[in-house]
Amino acid sequence: MAAFGSFALLLALALATYNLFAGTAALRLLANGRPARISSDRLADTARRAGIASFVAVTAAAVALVWSALTNDFTITYIAEHSNRALPAPYKFAALWSGQEGSLLLWAWLLGGYGFILRLTHKTEVKLHAYAGTILAGVEVFFLAIVNFAAPPFSLLKGAIPNDGNGLNPLLQYPEMVIHPPLLYLGYVGFTIPFAFALGALMMRYPGETWIKVTRRWTLVSWLFLTLGIVVGMHWAYGVLGWGGYWGWDPVENASLMPWLTGTAFLHSVMMQERKGMMKSWNIWLIFATFMLSILGTLLTRGGLVSSVHAFAQSSLGTWFMVFLAIVLAVCVLTYIFKRNHLKSEQRIESLVSRESSFLFNNLVLLTACFVILWGTLFPILSEFVEGSKITVGAPFFDRVAIPIGIFLLFLTGVGPLLPWRAASLQAIRRNFLLPALAVWATVIGGIAAGIRPWQDSTFDIGRFYALVAFALAAGVLTAILSEFLRGAGVIARQTSRNLFAAIYLLIRRNTRRYGGYVVHIGVVVAMIGLAGAAFNRNVESELALHDRMGIGPYILENAGGSQDTNTNYNSESVLLDIYRGGKRVFQVAPERRTYLASDQPQTMAAIHSGPGGDLYVIYEGTDSDTGHPIIKALLNPLVGWIWAGLVFIVFGTLVALTPSLMPVAATVRMPAARTAPAEAALKGGD
Amino acid sequence: MTEMQGIIAGAMLTLALGIYIFWPENAPANQSEKSRLDYLLERKEQLYENLRDLTFEYRAGKYPEEDFVAQRSLLENETALLITEIERVERTRPGRIALRAR
Amino acid sequence: MATPLRFTSWTKALQAIALVVAVTLSMGAGNDSARFQDLSHRLMCTCGCAQMLGECNQMGCAESARAKAELTTAITSGKTDRQILDTFAAKYGATVLAAPTTKGFDLVAWIAPIAVFAAALMGTILLVRRWSAGRTQLPAEPANPEIDVLREQIRRETEAGIEGGF
Repeated sequence: MAAFGSFALLLALALATYNLFAGTAALRLLANGRPARISSDRLADTARRAGIASFVAVTAAAVALVWSALTNDFTITYIAEHSNRALPAPYKFAALWSGQEGSLLLWAWLLGGYGFILRLTHKTEVKLHAYAGTILAGVEVFFLAIVNFAAPPFSLLKGAIPNDGNGLNPLLQYPEMVIHPPLLYLGYVGFTIPFAFALGALMMRYPGETWIKVTRRWTLVSWLFLTLGIVVGMHWAYGVLGWGGYWGWDPVENASLMPWLTGTAFLHSVMMQERKGMMKSWNIWLIFATFMLSILGTLLTRGGLVSSVHAFAQSSLGTWFMVFLAIVLAVCVLTYIFKRNHLKSEQRIESLVSRESSFLFNNLVLLTACFVILWGTLFPILSEFVEGSKITVGAPFFDRVAIPIGIFLLFLTGVGPLLPWRAASLQAIRRNFLLPALAVWATVIGGIAAGIRPWQDSTFDIGRFYALVAFALAAGVLTAILSEFLRGAGVIARQTSRNLFAAIYLLIRRNTRRYGGYVVHIGVVVAMIGLAGAAFNRNVESELALHDRMGIGPYILENAGGSQDTNTNYNSESVLLDIYRGGKRVFQVAPERRTYLASDQPQTMAAIHSGPGGDLYVIYEGTDSDTGHPIIKALLNPLVGWIWAGLVFIVFGTLVALTPSLMPVAATVRMPAARTAPAEAALKGGD
Repeated sequence: MTEMQGIIAGAMLTLALGIYIFWPENAPANQSEKSRLDYLLERKEQLYENLRDLTFEYRAGKYPEEDFVAQRSLLENETALLITEIERVERTRPGRIALRAR
Repeated sequence: MATPLRFTSWTKALQAIALVVAVTLSMGAGNDSARFQDLSHRLMCTCGCAQMLGECNQMGCAESARAKAELTTAITSGKTDRQILDTFAAKYGATVLAAPTTKGFDLVAWIAPIAVFAAALMGTILLVRRWSAGRTQLPAEPANPEIDVLREQIRRETEAGIEGGF
């Protein structure tokens, strides 16, 4: 299998290289317009097919690696290091992305997969797809070169073949870990497609903004995967790392957040280009930056530049990524310099108070957030360079700097959709902002009345202050979005005499992108409420002998005994805790400690009980060395469930936005027909 | 799978993919340039969208009357100028009209 | 009367902000367990887990237990927060502090985000103002009958009601 896998990878590289060179040659022929021995169309078509074939070859290699894991082929170093016989089959499958070589292969495979779809759907805009496909081939060549030469997944073990492998890192033996990396990679890799289209459109001086419409779905899908990957990763950290939190501002987490921020900025500001032909250079650079940041993230973590809990082996890969990044940057800068006159804006922003400028501020905030995270992540390196000593830039730094930015962003989420395009008159502002402003103040008063007081016992609790502000803004944003839906539906209901629900449904169907976007905003707001709720988290830690009790919030925890268990994969030890509330036993939890046999690594398994009042999160920390009694840490996280609920809205909203809008009958008909057709298009809005 | 078998399987894969790539295709997709007219029609579609959106938001009560009238006037002028250009381009390229009319 | 009124409300707002800032800076002096919570989240664990001291849950992590005990002793011995952090930094190196200090080059870490945000905000506002200052006024209505006909047509096509269904 190893020989076949290596062969397939080499073949994939050769085919991608052919795609790159033949594609470039064909596009040059086409640009020069000189007759040649072979028609440029024909040459371009073989290049495109080579790209498709390259994906088939990478697929063969990926299948070979998974097959080797499933069949315990420990002659392959990678399998011996990341799997063992007793590992359950789904985790063996996940071995594909549990180590460096495998995850790079996954990266190359996903890239090929996206390219496969792109090259199959080339008929919509043949020339644009030819450019994008060729640029994509360039990126493929890089990743395939890495898996062939720098991090070969099929290299054979030297010396005696072990009877069993080292096993998978216990932290990764968790169902979400099977899906988190592929989701994240689908996001990262996906941004290559809009990047390729944007660069291609610039290279060929594509007239108009339709390339954005072509890439819109790609961008949204990548964004959705990246969002899913990040949040599933948070949920994994929450469930597995066992410290009761979900975000530690670790360099790898930061690396995933940066392209997310620029990608989000792109999704917003691109609407201005589509609609009004503005901000062309800006958008091009946003998508360039998004792509480069996803490569930079890999460079930071794989290259061993920064230390992280996601410790992949440090390796020479950093140099590869650095060189690649430099090439990408050079290509982007040069293309931009030579073609920038193609990107002149057709219009300009006319007022500081308008939808346009709210997009601009949204971009400003998202990019500042991105800069802050990049800055915090790289500052230790900078400090070492300047001062000669390394320092830590951890959660306290990011919390302090990022939370105000997040709150400002929440504010803009509410303001943006309410502002009209071009310019808002004072009257319009008063009309649109009255209700949301009332909601904000009502929440502030309600919150203080309900006991969310930043000033308590003569100290100022900044966490509670932020939470109160976030809740108030969240209420304002939700009111704003709701009123957008109701107003729109009202117009439809009046004119078609539908009931309100049917009108809302039709409203969404007519402009899936805008109203899907609003649903995503609802999700973001809900998630923000969950994040702000961290200010109310509580925890207690205590040694609990049998039948000892400890209390947290409304709950009493009582040690009801322990148990031990052994299977082929791990030994486990757990403490059974009865949970009482109001004097009645309501449920039991059993936090656990495992020791994985193959790797001899211990692991805590927190017990999480989610109820309407929040999560009760219980960790078995170990036993007291003197008394031998278990030490239990309990956390009460009242609003954490809102974060995961927010994700549901975000996914649903994005799926809505991905659905094509209903086109009004008259909209696509040309002028003569439109004169007679009932022009029922009035309600069809654009973004 | 032995090493030899692996290489044979790889060779077969290479052959199959090679045939797929270079199989004579008589009508490869044509890399036609997008014309000025295509571009103008796209712009017109977008301006129509903007106008419809404006009307919709006005009806939803987001614009005061005078804002709406002023902005509609701007957009309508822009669209009208665009349509005159479309008609001029179409007159100079008569072949395109028949091709484009749906 | 209007001017003094506005003036007082501004002073009040400023006073409130000053109060908030003063209170924020003076916070952190609670009871011992609250101080332990606070300080253990301003220090890193030294076992290489890249987690904060208060959150390190590496199995059998001897470092965190020892450091936590040290922290508890330091708190009960009546040292100030700053003294405790300084002691830790002297003993384990600057990397034990979870966030940069506000001295020397470390200060740059804190200033840069604010500076960049302020600069970008000013830049954006100035840019938009400049653009909107040179904004084109409503073009004079072209007295061209052909254009008027087109405008009529455009309005009909984009404004009609939606009696028909989808």
